[in-house]
Amino acid sequence: MTAGVSLVVLLFLLGSSIAVAAGMGLAGVVLNQLYSTMPMSRIAGELTWSTTSNFILTAIPFYIMFGEILLRSGTAERMYAALVQWFSWLPGGLMHSNIGACALFGSVSGSSVATAATIGVVAMGEIDKHNYNEPLFLGTLAAGGTLGILIPPSINMIIYGVMTDTSVPKLYLAGFLPGAILTVLFSLTVLVACVWKPQWGGNKIETNWEMRIKLLPDLLPPLVLLLIVIGAIFLGIATATEAAAVGIVGALAITAQRGRLSWRMLRDVCEGTVRTTAMVVAILVGAFFLNVIIQTIGLTQQLSKLISAYQMTPVQVLWAVIILYLVLGTFMEELSMMISTIPITTPLMVQAGYDPVWYGILLVLLIQTAMISPPFGINLFVIHGIRGRGTLSDVEKGSAPFVIALLTMIAMICVWPDIVMVAVRWFG
Amino acid sequence: MKRLQAVAGQISRVGAIVGGAMLLVASILICIDITLRYTVSITLGGADELSGYALAISSAWGFSSALLSRSHIRIDTVYVRIKSIGGRAMLDLISLGTLLGFFGMVTWYAWGVVWQSWVSDSHSLSAIEAPLVIPQGLWFAGLLFFVALSLLLLVRGLLAFIAGDYNGLFALIGSKSALAEAEEEIAAVAHGLEQEKKP
Repeated sequence: MTAGVSLVVLLFLLGSSIAVAAGMGLAGVVLNQLYSTMPMSRIAGELTWSTTSNFILTAIPFYIMFGEILLRSGTAERMYAALVQWFSWLPGGLMHSNIGACALFGSVSGSSVATAATIGVVAMGEIDKHNYNEPLFLGTLAAGGTLGILIPPSINMIIYGVMTDTSVPKLYLAGFLPGAILTVLFSLTVLVACVWKPQWGGNKIETNWEMRIKLLPDLLPPLVLLLIVIGAIFLGIATATEAAAVGIVGALAITAQRGRLSWRMLRDVCEGTVRTTAMVVAILVGAFFLNVIIQTIGLTQQLSKLISAYQMTPVQVLWAVIILYLVLGTFMEELSMMISTIPITTPLMVQAGYDPVWYGILLVLLIQTAMISPPFGINLFVIHGIRGRGTLSDVEKGSAPFVIALLTMIAMICVWPDIVMVAVRWFG
Repeated sequence: MKRLQAVAGQISRVGAIVGGAMLLVASILICIDITLRYTVSITLGGADELSGYALAISSAWGFSSALLSRSHIRIDTVYVRIKSIGGRAMLDLISLGTLLGFFGMVTWYAWGVVWQSWVSDSHSLSAIEAPLVIPQGLWFAGLLFFVALSLLLLVRGLLAFIAGDYNGLFALIGSKSALAEAEEEIAAVAHGLEQEKKP
């Protein structure tokens, strides 16, 4: 009963288009009034201070700032040109470079929108030059962009880690192999499509070894940053949050070396970072408040009773959660979807016996799927916006094969959980 | 009232830039800390604590900046299906009203936190023993400013509503479509690339 009412209250508040932060906070106030005699609202001040001054969460603005600086450093364009030399001999040409560039940029950026936007802007100019099947080309960018949150670092993993008390480095470790496999799956999707319909693959692009070697240094800055940031975490030199700080200084160094460092640029970086951070933190404030209320009214225990009352097997719980996210993902903004549901679905999955690290990766894959599923998929909007012509349905059509690749990946980690867990066991 | 908002806009902009600068300085401090720790085994201590304060303060001040750029996320699945302009305007007012309500409550109880630190002269349990009232005061000021700004926008929105000036209302507090959001992101990237092309 409580669970049903809670869900209705939350969905009503979020559906009525009020700000997600306020919606979750007020859902907490309402549930507290309905089911608890303790005036929990009083903790709102202390809770907000203690969560927003939490050092682990500073990773959020740090990775956002890191991305903002890289965006303005001009690394993406050179990186892309170098990848074109390396990958465009495959059937499907530049589309493989799109995916590769997204994977590489995603490995330094913690955000899918930033990845899709950055590589999208760089790649879009090439679309007319080489006669590609346009929807598929757009699909590679929308889908490739989603790799930003699977391949560490990842802002979404930090939020999940903090909200569920799961180790962020373990989540990062767990994300690598699925990230690599998914990149290959995306590339395979292009390959299969272009072998099946060769006319989709566009004109051949001239590549040679001389150029490949010559442009290799352009791949270095992101690779070096990746090695520093990720290496520092896994060698135990720095925590995930500290590594983000190192990334900022590294990105500043690259920007300075390119001669792009200026007061104006720094000011824009600061303003952009704070605005995006505040948006995320506002939702977190609402979510943490709701989370505490949910715990005090015993919702979690009720859910697990519900599972045992209906004698649901873990596999059934898993199916229910996957279907829930596939449905929510079609119409909800992805970040809000993740933050508002974590307090309910994570205890459910853990109760059913799933590892929280494994579930974190599953959740990220489900969010990636939501990002390219119509009608609401943030990456579809980003790529459509960059293209600036045609219809949104072109991007949706082109992304469809990659939704299948994502669902395949989800099925793979469900059948072989070791894809996620093996790295955690070896290094964790 | 327009002038009041212009001033508020300036303040929130400065707040965001200073907040960002605090985060930038915090990240540099952390790097210095890591370097010292691994070269000469000295730790500055407190770099992580200060970053936490930087996050709390900058996000409290950033709420206003996000409000003015209409960046606070709303789920507009229902909103975009409402044909009536007046209906949408009502939803925008309700949205802002609830935002004000929740953060008004947070700010109300936040005052208790600051007051408690002031009267009991609380210091953090760490090497630097920071007097908590300083970071908490700056944090509270950001929240208070956000609440005041929300109130100002709500009043202006209501006046626009009464006057039937819906376009004015949407420009102030309307829900920004995801597409518009995406376009801003793209503009930022494109701007970066243009800079790159300049000699």
